[in-house]
Amino acid sequence: MLERFHVPAADEVRVPDQALRATVENIFMALGIAADDARQGADVLLYADLRGVESHGVSNMLRVYVNQYREGKLNPRGEFTVLQERPSTAAVDGGGTLGIIQGPKAMRLAIEKARQTGAGIVTLRNVGHTGAVGYHAMLAADQDMIGVSLTAGGVLVAPTFGAAPRLGTNPIAVAAPTGTKPRFLYDAATSVVAANKLVLADRLNVPLHGGWIAGWNGAPIMEDAYLPPRDQYVMLPLGSTREMSSHKGYGLALVNEILCSVLGSAVPAMLDPDSGSKQFLAAYDISAFGDVDRFKASMDEMLETLLQTPTAPGHERVIYPGIAEEEELSRRLRDGIPLHREVIDWFTQVCDELGIPPLEVA
Amino acid sequence: MLERFHVPEADQIRVPPEALRATVERIFMAVGVPEEDARQGADVLVYADLRGVETHGVSNMLRVYVQQYRTGQLNPTPELHYVIESPSGLVIDGDRGLGLIQCPKVMRLVIEKAREQGVATASIRNLGHTGPIGYHAMLAAQQDMVGLSMTASGSQVLPALAAEPRMGTNPIAVAAPAGERPWLLFDAAMSAIASNKIRIARRLGVPLHPGWVASWTGTPIMEETPVPEDGDFHQLPLGSTRELGAHKGFGLALMVEVLATLLSGSVPRMLDPEVGSRHFLAAFDLAAFTDVERFKQTMDDMLGMLLETKPAPGAERVIYPGVAEAETLAERSKNGIPYHREVIEWFDQVTAELNIERLERL
Repeated sequence: MLERFHVPAADEVRVPDQALRATVENIFMALGIAADDARQGADVLLYADLRGVESHGVSNMLRVYVNQYREGKLNPRGEFTVLQERPSTAAVDGGGTLGIIQGPKAMRLAIEKARQTGAGIVTLRNVGHTGAVGYHAMLAADQDMIGVSLTAGGVLVAPTFGAAPRLGTNPIAVAAPTGTKPRFLYDAATSVVAANKLVLADRLNVPLHGGWIAGWNGAPIMEDAYLPPRDQYVMLPLGSTREMSSHKGYGLALVNEILCSVLGSAVPAMLDPDSGSKQFLAAYDISAFGDVDRFKASMDEMLETLLQTPTAPGHERVIYPGIAEEEELSRRLRDGIPLHREVIDWFTQVCDELGIPPLEVA
Repeated sequence: MLERFHVPEADQIRVPPEALRATVERIFMAVGVPEEDARQGADVLVYADLRGVETHGVSNMLRVYVQQYRTGQLNPTPELHYVIESPSGLVIDGDRGLGLIQCPKVMRLVIEKAREQGVATASIRNLGHTGPIGYHAMLAAQQDMVGLSMTASGSQVLPALAAEPRMGTNPIAVAAPAGERPWLLFDAAMSAIASNKIRIARRLGVPLHPGWVASWTGTPIMEETPVPEDGDFHQLPLGSTRELGAHKGFGLALMVEVLATLLSGSVPRMLDPEVGSRHFLAAFDLAAFTDVERFKQTMDDMLGMLLETKPAPGAERVIYPGVAEAETLAERSKNGIPYHREVIEWFDQVTAELNIERLERL
């Protein structure tokens, strides 16, 4: 993440990952979620926080999930129902519970199909937030497959030249295994920045970079500016302006909408804002395409070549998607997860309200 | 395309599409391509020019292909070799054939498999240029499937923060059918701008926009600049700078490398400068996931909503990928395809050399 998003050291409280995991599981169970599902949901949130993906960890998302279950917007006992299937495909309804709980199940189904036929694709509709979608893709990489996880949900991003939001930030995640290098893990919104990054910047009171958002009339704001009130801006697609190819970010977001919502027998959020999130999960079995060890050796060689690439002036190193997260993972397993003290206060309050043990801090 | 790329009126000569098709077929046959393949190759090039995708039509590309056939770099009579096959997957060696002739054949095989399994993919290695890859994706859309087409080739694009190019422009195309509306056809390089656009800008003598290229040191050039000499610049990934998401364009280009290159058992250009281009094709059968009529109806509703979105100041309208191309197709089918007179001169020269009929013009 860019420097501006880091929690200032003075506001930081370190929490051991196992303590955070236990508390998150307890919170989910207190809301009526079955133990297995609670464990799955906690695993996705911890995955994000352990890798420095603060935007999708407990700080931003858990309080939203808690509110949605309490208000009945999410169903803690939502079922996983296969609507139709073929040897390589399935369409699934998620029963209105969290995507971080149902998405991994859908990916496991895609992996089973890929093992039989070479490729497996599952669409998943009617779920809540899907969290760090890289998690779902990584499940396939764990099985020597290439994993793809696409999400559509929300109405925040304006189409190129548009003055109103029509699309979600619609992230794309792709994971692929390697031999000895950190695995390739691409996980990014098709907007310039993830929506949660705006929330983070607001909480940390830092300005947004030019090109991240447009004013309410759709004109891109090209200089640094603080986040305006919610109804006075729209988010921009990757590319920011037409000249810098925002039609590409917009097009990718629309492709996500088609593969997740339209293919999944759901309605895009621009037509029904209450239609929940939708996902498209794909697994491609590497052994169906060639020798797995050769694939991994080529991955290592390619990724090493990228790491050895000379940098542009002012930069320390060239990296590839997945490496910074992997480095953060080992640090945080050792030192704990840094949370903003305001997040700790929230945990104290919610644990008290739900009558569960408080979060243990280091 | 942006206004700056249009051929100036005064330099335009219009050619009837059928005349162009006939001449391109004859040129292919004169360099040793069998008749059926020549027809396929001409269809892809005419497809690009009819839709206004000048970067990938005859102007930029045909002369390159002719040279590559003449020098033996391309094989006019390749045999597609099945390396490995599974129910949903194919790996094919293209035997140095021209990609824009061979990829449609492979996409037709993929479509057959998708009809059985629900989804199918192919990774292809050892091919020449694939032309406008939206063509291949569109073949699946014509069969009520979502079509996907990706190409890895070249090594002219920088990774984020790097000073040396490692990636091709690695375009991604996705096609999906609609009911009444123009079909969705996304087809875009994962660089800030397609390489051929830089060639066009040079021919037309127009400047490059900020964020399109970096200096040879890797620093993004953030003001307008005349097209630098070859060797004095590198292309930037989509997103242009780290703050604006260059790591996303880079990551997507790397994803294409994984699916097209590594899955096909080939190596990226960064590791072998002589390697041919690599491709990934996929088809998702709509009927395996949902009701086809419902899919098309939802597409129409969504695309209509986008078209009706209020435009930002200074913009005329909001469109989606595929609309402008469909409009240009209608106009050019009626009025002929406009070419720069320099392109017509090349045609006259090459048809004289190959001893075939001169290109007819309006």
